[in-house]
Amino acid sequence: MTQIDIDGESARDGLMTLVMTVVELLVEVMEQEAIRRMESGDLTDEEIERVGAQFAALEAEIEAIKEDEQIDEPVDQLRERLDNLVSDAVMTMDEPPQQGYSYNPIEDD
Amino acid sequence: MTEPSFETGRYLYCVVQLPETESVEFSTVGVDDEQAYLLTAGTIGIVVHDCDTLYDSSNIDLVRKWLLAHQNVIDTAGEQFGTPVPFQFDTILRGDDERVRTWLESERNTFASHLDAMAGCWEYRIDVLRDEAIVEEELSDDEQLVEIDDRIAESASGTSHLLEKKYEQRLKTLKQEQRTDRTAGLTEQLSTIVHDLQDLGQKQTTLNTDADIDEALIREARLAILAHEERQDEIGDLLDDVAAEPGVEIRFTGPWPPYTFTPTIENDSSEN
Repeated sequence: MTQIDIDGESARDGLMTLVMTVVELLVEVMEQEAIRRMESGDLTDEEIERVGAQFAALEAEIEAIKEDEQIDEPVDQLRERLDNLVSDAVMTMDEPPQQGYSYNPIEDD
Repeated sequence: MTEPSFETGRYLYCVVQLPETESVEFSTVGVDDEQAYLLTAGTIGIVVHDCDTLYDSSNIDLVRKWLLAHQNVIDTAGEQFGTPVPFQFDTILRGDDERVRTWLESERNTFASHLDAMAGCWEYRIDVLRDEAIVEEELSDDEQLVEIDDRIAESASGTSHLLEKKYEQRLKTLKQEQRTDRTAGLTEQLSTIVHDLQDLGQKQTTLNTDADIDEALIREARLAILAHEERQDEIGDLLDDVAAEPGVEIRFTGPWPPYTFTPTIENDSSEN
């Protein structure tokens, strides 16, 4: 897992990365719900347009913060790790635990 | 290095099958520049070095150096004695040579059957990478995606934002399905050739080697296979066919000692 350094500037970056990652995931879940409602016919066209516009504004805001804080890449990396963690967890639920040990053999150059 | 944590111990590298006729000698430089040597029990040998501490460091370069040394010893043993049964890095048995011999003697039958089963087999790694743009292009004629695209074209900006998200979600699902299907297909083809196969998924490995992957490529599969050395070319030919598809890059490495296919040895007194 990504370690969050608790000293000074890098602590702030680490914490911002974590916060923005959580916010992104949260927005994604809410967007999924909005899409579900849009497709189930629960919302009028005006409502869909308004909700969509709000999400678009929110996304622009998140992107701007990430750019200001220069945490685009760390957020992507953290999300990727979380994704892999989840897929691996799902995979290991499907299969018996792997025996032995896995690391990439190093090409001896 | 950590503080010494026991009086005397033996760092274990691998177990090997010894030739029955000739006397054998083995010596090479191991982890942390220690001298690795061979202990024997009948026709089974084990490569070890003397130690009084575990190998633990937060310095990734040092760990890498240790791992490389660990691997070199096992490679050297493999060249001399044939397929070894490797131990995982930092497997240590408390006690002296006599203690290791006693343990080896007690586990002799287990090791003998593993060595027998793996004789002539080596581990190979297969990485399948695809050009993401080509993958997306192939999927873009999906009926649902086409329909969402049409709706986006006639929607106002707020609505199209949600539709674009829906498009992304659908594309992601299709990519995952395609990846699963293709990997299952490859696994199926390999299954008649290989002894054993492990899907390593997207696991983070100790030494992340993804740094050299072109950003335009996405990983479709990472497999470890255990195969007889005589079938290496056959596997290579099969992979060449896959690599012939547009936008595919295959990395086929090996032969390695069977790191992934090492049986778990029940051993209460090892430190790890």
